[in-house]
Amino acid sequence: MRLSGKLRSALVIGGQGIRARKLRTFLSMVSLFLGVLAVVTVQAGAVIADRAARIDLELNMGRDGTVQVYLPDHAETVDITLDTVSGAAGTAALTSYRAVVGEPGVTPVNAGGMSFDHLGGNYGGYTCDRYGNCVSLEADKTKPPGQAVEFSLYGLTGDLRQFRPFHLVSGAWLDFTGGPLMSPGLVVNEELAKGLNRYQVPAELRLAGATTNATPRIIGVVDDGNSMPTAYARSDELRTWSPPDRVAQLYLSSDAEPVAQVLKTRLTAAGAPMDQWYSQVIDSEEFVGDQLMLLRLIFLGMAALVLLIGAAGILNVGLATVGERIEEFALRRAVGTPRLLLAGIVLAETMIVGLLTAGAATGVGVLGLEVARRVLGDREPLLAEVAFPWEAGLAGVIAGVAAGVLGGLIPAIRAAKIPIATVMRA
Amino acid sequence: MTALLELSGIAKVLTGQGQPRPILTGVDLTVHTGQSVAILGRSGSGKSTLLSLIGLFDRPDGGRYLLAGEDITTVSERRAARLRSERFGFVFQRFFLLKHLTAAQNVAMALVNGQGWLPRRSRRATVMAALDQMGIAHLAKHKPTRLSGGEQQRVAIARALVRRPQVLLADEPTGALDTETGSLVIDALHAATERGCGLVLVTHDQAHAARMGRVLRLVDGALVQEVRR
Repeated sequence: MRLSGKLRSALVIGGQGIRARKLRTFLSMVSLFLGVLAVVTVQAGAVIADRAARIDLELNMGRDGTVQVYLPDHAETVDITLDTVSGAAGTAALTSYRAVVGEPGVTPVNAGGMSFDHLGGNYGGYTCDRYGNCVSLEADKTKPPGQAVEFSLYGLTGDLRQFRPFHLVSGAWLDFTGGPLMSPGLVVNEELAKGLNRYQVPAELRLAGATTNATPRIIGVVDDGNSMPTAYARSDELRTWSPPDRVAQLYLSSDAEPVAQVLKTRLTAAGAPMDQWYSQVIDSEEFVGDQLMLLRLIFLGMAALVLLIGAAGILNVGLATVGERIEEFALRRAVGTPRLLLAGIVLAETMIVGLLTAGAATGVGVLGLEVARRVLGDREPLLAEVAFPWEAGLAGVIAGVAAGVLGGLIPAIRAAKIPIATVMRA
Repeated sequence: MTALLELSGIAKVLTGQGQPRPILTGVDLTVHTGQSVAILGRSGSGKSTLLSLIGLFDRPDGGRYLLAGEDITTVSERRAARLRSERFGFVFQRFFLLKHLTAAQNVAMALVNGQGWLPRRSRRATVMAALDQMGIAHLAKHKPTRLSGGEQQRVAIARALVRRPQVLLADEPTGALDTETGSLVIDALHAATERGCGLVLVTHDQAHAARMGRVLRLVDGALVQEVRR
């Protein structure tokens, strides 16, 4: 791309002006630096928070476009659903169980399936974690405490990771290609893995409603974004031991709509209350965007204020500089430089200052994040994996240029209006 | 033959502080290619105002101004800028060199003005040729603060001539120089007329004026006295 003569001239002359006034350029940059850095920091923070929130949303609810269905409560819902969706592409139904692994006939160390780091006390037939989340222990209060852990167990009819992209921490994810095995294969989340590792419980799996205990195979560990102990298994392997209480959720991809239609028809025919059929399409923008928007607006408002002060600094220096350069601008007009180009020269200088400042602020931002990652990375896992978002650099550039234009506009107009005849008089 | 410059009945009223003051009341002036004209007059008689009207720094309040047959009396500022760049060269008493630029960069200022674009190499060659014409090519990299008055004025003349203008306008170019150096500057301006450039010289110096083809005197807002040599 070839630049026009006017633009090249503006850049050449602007560059000469900056080189001739290095200290002033530096002072302008200093006045603008904090504002641009504020914008870069706010944008970087917002992007990082946005990413974290979206990752969390994907892990807990599903990717964008996933259809999440809550099924009507009916005696045949479980059977009809499993029969309809098992093996169907683009679907995954979750059957839920309350499960315990460990010594039989004891109260689990985390009765109620609580988080292992937040085990609290028992309060009159309830066990509560330190946040006040309580679960009834009515059924277990006669059992002595023992080496067992309780958790939520989900039976899957299809690959849930196509909707909720759990990160595989170790081992393998569930294999849905072969037939079911007698020994249920479990993929546990990190919280449950922590509990199993901490309490070294015997490998005996009790499912609520089952008459016999199974011997589970733990085949992998995933990060599912859940702080409660949870495990995932093939639905058909669990059904061998106990029928599920209910279908907790059904996930459908957008092209699995025919399956949903068949399921609806069959449930209607079975007399299920279809007014309880509820589905929602996951839209991360709707979930996350709105939550972060207000926060982002508040911080951007503050950043804009600081930026405005920076622009005022440029304006101040710019007006003083134009005052000093009256003869130069008049001379340039005398040798044929159009008014518009003179304004362009002043704007080019302030925009170059803005760009240089943006570069410096972005550099400091990158450096700051790197330092934060090294210092706090161990305590904050999010920081350990985060990279400086390019959006923040772009925001810095835009802010720098905007401040340059804002601060340079009035000096530019003044420069363009300098009368040649008055200045160049002998 | 079409005149290079043709001014008829040019009037200008100064409207600064106080009462409006007619400074030019009816100036008639014709300059042909290669001609040199000296304009004499008392301080405040309107010599510089006339020159700024000829150089399109300002517009007349009355009269008619033709440049090579084209009526430019009320030309737009955009067109005026182009004409200043392509047709006129200016030399001032105070040199008006930018201190932060070298002699070569000061000359190049007339080329880097948004009116077309010369690649760096061509630009450098053109600038060096202009400086060489003034006999100061060896000072190309010097900044103005390291040059004598005469050298600075020759840099200014090189800047005025670098675009090969049709008209050279000089407003007391020797005013800040000693007699000998001033004479050298007038030589340089004269040389430009020999290459076909029209020259309008505003001066107080009778001796320098006498070296021009025509000498006019500005009295009471008009060029009333023409002295033929």
